[in-house]
Amino acid sequence: MPIAFEHVSHIYNDGTPYRHVALEDVSLELAEGKITAIIGQTGSGKSTLVQHLNALLLPSAGKVLILDRTIEAGSQPKQLKSLRGQVGLVFQFPEYQLFEETVLKDIAFGPKNFGVSEEDAAKKARTAMQMVGLGPEFEERSPLELSGGQKRRVAIAGILAMDPAVLVLDEPTAGLDPQGTEQMMSLFHRLNRESGKTILIVTHDMEQVYRYCDEVVVMEQGKPKLRTDVQTFFHDSSLCRELNILPPALIRMKDMLRENGFTVSDEISDVNGLAKELARQVKRHG
Amino acid sequence: MGNFTLGRYLPLDSPIHRMDPRAKIMGMLLMLIAIFIPSGWIGYGIIFVCAAGTILLAKLQFGFILKSMRPMMIMMIFLFIINCLVIHTGEPLFVIGPVVIYKDAILQTLYIVVRLLLMIMITTCLTATTKPLDMTLGIEDLLKPFEKIHVPAHEIAMLISIALRFIPDLIDETQRIIKAQESRGVDMKEGKMQERIMAILSLIVPLFVSAFQRAEDLANAMEARGYAPGEKRTRYKVLKMAGRDYTLLLCCTAVLAGMIWLSRMS
Amino acid sequence: MALIEVKDLCFAYEGDNLAVDHVSFSVPEGQYVTIIGHNGSGKSTVAKLLAGLLEKKSGSIVIDGLELNQKNLHQLRSRIGIVFQNPDNQFIGSTVRDDIAFGLENHCVPQEQMDDIISEFSTRVGMSEFLDKEPTHLSGGQKQRVAIAGVLAMAPKILIFDEATSMLDPQGKDEIKRVIMDLHRKSGLTILSITHDIDEVTSSDNVLVLAEGKVALTGTPAEVFSQEKMLKKIRLDIPFSLKLADELNKRGVSVNRELTMEGLVKELCRLHSNM
Repeated sequence: MPIAFEHVSHIYNDGTPYRHVALEDVSLELAEGKITAIIGQTGSGKSTLVQHLNALLLPSAGKVLILDRTIEAGSQPKQLKSLRGQVGLVFQFPEYQLFEETVLKDIAFGPKNFGVSEEDAAKKARTAMQMVGLGPEFEERSPLELSGGQKRRVAIAGILAMDPAVLVLDEPTAGLDPQGTEQMMSLFHRLNRESGKTILIVTHDMEQVYRYCDEVVVMEQGKPKLRTDVQTFFHDSSLCRELNILPPALIRMKDMLRENGFTVSDEISDVNGLAKELARQVKRHG
Repeated sequence: MGNFTLGRYLPLDSPIHRMDPRAKIMGMLLMLIAIFIPSGWIGYGIIFVCAAGTILLAKLQFGFILKSMRPMMIMMIFLFIINCLVIHTGEPLFVIGPVVIYKDAILQTLYIVVRLLLMIMITTCLTATTKPLDMTLGIEDLLKPFEKIHVPAHEIAMLISIALRFIPDLIDETQRIIKAQESRGVDMKEGKMQERIMAILSLIVPLFVSAFQRAEDLANAMEARGYAPGEKRTRYKVLKMAGRDYTLLLCCTAVLAGMIWLSRMS
Repeated sequence: MALIEVKDLCFAYEGDNLAVDHVSFSVPEGQYVTIIGHNGSGKSTVAKLLAGLLEKKSGSIVIDGLELNQKNLHQLRSRIGIVFQNPDNQFIGSTVRDDIAFGLENHCVPQEQMDDIISEFSTRVGMSEFLDKEPTHLSGGQKQRVAIAGVLAMAPKILIFDEATSMLDPQGKDEIKRVIMDLHRKSGLTILSITHDIDEVTSSDNVLVLAEGKVALTGTPAEVFSQEKMLKKIRLDIPFSLKLADELNKRGVSVNRELTMEGLVKELCRLHSNM
C-alpha cells in the first residue's frame, strides 16, 4: 500500500483574516520502503504535508491514503491513536519534547501510551536505545542533562520504540554539527535498509539527500512541483539551479569539470570514483 | 484562542487609537472608580452613554464587546444561582421547586451584571485601541513619580513588554509540543485520570524547559547589548499629550464628579 | 598589539571539568577569524567569555589594550557586539525599529539621533523596508539581519557570531554570510565567527580549531586544512576540493591542495593541457 494524497488542500484559520492556504490540491504518491526527501523553501508546505500522515492535521479537502486507512476531509477519523503508532512523526528540534525523569522512561512513554505493558515498553525502549547508539549507561540518566545531540537521539528513540512502519522526520539534523548529522543520517539509512521502514525526511541539506535518499519530492507554494528519483534529480546542476537550490559539491564539481572539457560519466557518485576517472584522463593525456 | 477577544488590540484608525496611552489609562481608571460609586440606575445610564459613545468613536463593533462578555457568562449564571439561594429580602416573586426567588436577588444580580458590562466596555475602549507596547510606555510614565518610593517603574514596564513580546512565541511552542506528544500517542482531550496527569506533565515540563532556555538566551542578548537594570538609559519612544487627551481627562473627571453628586443625592 | 589577546583562558561550568582549558590566541584588528569544533568543544563558551557574559576562572582577555574585568565591562561592551544562534530569543523589541533602538537606549544615545542611526544600519543589512514589522512576520534570516543591525548600531570594533546561521534555512544562511562578508570588506570590522560552514571557513583570514576546550589548531584555512592527521583525529570535515585533491594525490596525480573547486579545476586543466 503506497502513501497517497488525493487532491488534498489544507487551509489554516479558514474564515478569519489570517486565512492561509498551506496546501493546494496536492495529489502525490510516496514510495513504500524507500527514503524520500521532501525539499522546498520555507513556507512551501513541507511540514503541513507531513503532519497529514499521522492525522495531526486533517485535510480541508481531498483525502490521504496511508497504510490501510483513508483520511477524508470532513470526517473525523476513528482510532487515530493506532495510526499514530504506525506512523512515527519526529518534529523539528524534538529534544524539546523530553519530560520524564530518566531516559528509559521517556523512551518507553510512547509504547506505553499505545497500551504496551510496563515490561514490554522497557524492552522496546532498550532496543530503540541500541538503534540510536545510546549505551545502557544512559538508561537512568535524566534526559534534560544530556548534550544537544544526545537529547535528540533520545527523542528519536522515543518514536522508534513505537516500532512504526513509516517514519517521518521534520529536519532531523537541524542545528547538529557535521559529525552529529552524519551519525543521524546513517541511522535512518540503516533503519530503512535493515528493517524496510518507509522513511520520509523533510530537509534543506542537499548533501544528505544525495548521499542517503532514494526519491525527492520538491514542494513549491503548497504544491508538489516535482517527484523523481535522486539520480535523475542530481543528474546535473540544472534542475537544482532552476529551483534555486545549491546542488551537492560533487555535482557542482562534475559540472565544472564538464564545462572545462573533461568527460565525467553519470554513474560516478562519490569522491573516489571521480578521482579514479580524473586520474585516468589526466594520465592518458600524458 | 481565536474566539478570545477580551483585552485584544484591534489595529484600526480612529481618534481614540491616536490618543496618548497615559490619558487613556487615567481615563479608564477614573471611569472604573465611577462605576463603583453607588449612583443608581441614572448614573449607570450616564456611564453607559459615555462608554458607548467612545466605542462608536473608536470604530469598534458592539459584537466585539459582547464576545468579550462570553467568558464571563458562566460566572454570572453561577452568581445568579448563589444570589437566589442566599438573598431573602424584598418581595417574593416566584417559586421554583423548593426555592423562593426574591426581588432583591434579581436586582442584586442585575446590578453586578450591569457593572461588569460597563467595566468590560470601558476596559475594551483602552485595550482594543492601544498597542501593547504603547500601553507599557504609558504605565512606565505613570509610575515614574512613584520611583521615589522605590517602585521600579521601568523594570515593571520592561517585564510587561517582554512578556507581551513572547506570548505569540510561547503559544506556538505550546502547540508544537502538543503535536509532538500527540505523535507519541498522548491524548490531550480524554483519558483516565492517570493518563490525563501524564498528558499534562508531558506538556508542562517541556514548556518550562524551553521557557527557561529562552529566558537565559534573552538575558544574554539583553546584557550583551548593554542592558543593566537600574542603570540610566534614554528612551526611543516619547509620548506627547495633545488637546484631545486633556479633553478626555476632563470629561472623565466630570463623570466621576457627577456620580459622586448623584450618590450624595440619593 | 593585536585587538584581541587571549592568554591561558580557563573556564568551568559549576562542578564540571574545564570547558575552556588554557586557551590562548590573538586576533589583529580587521581580521575575519572563524572558530570551528564540535558541539561541546568550548566554542560558544569562548564567545560568551569574550562578550563578558561569563566570568573567566583564570587567564586574561585583553581587548583593545584594556583588560576585560568587572570594572571595564561596561566600557568594553560597546566595543564588542555578539549575534547569537536563535533568531527569536534575541529579538527584544516589538518591531524591527524598537529592537534596533534597544541597544541605543541602553547606551544612552540621545533620542533625537536614534531615527537616523536606525535608518542607517537597517539599510546596511537590507531591512530598511521592514522597520515597522513585528518579529512574527519576519523570516529567520531577516530576524538575524535585524540582530546584526542592532549590534552594529552601537558602533562596535569587534563582531562575534555565535553560530548565527545554524538555525536558518539555506536562503537565510546565504543572506547572513553575505552580510558578514560585506561588513568585513567594507567596514574593516574585526569578525569572529563560530561556524560549522566549511565555505565560510575557507573564506576567512584565520581559523581557530577547538577540541575539548583546547586550541587544537590555528592558522590560515590552507594551513589548518593541511593538518590532515589532526583533523581526522578530531573528526572535522574538510572542503570537497581537498578531499578530491587528496584522492588524486593518492592515485599518483600530483595536484595542489586547493581550497576551492575553481582552484582545483584550474589545476586539473593545467595538467590536462600541459601533458
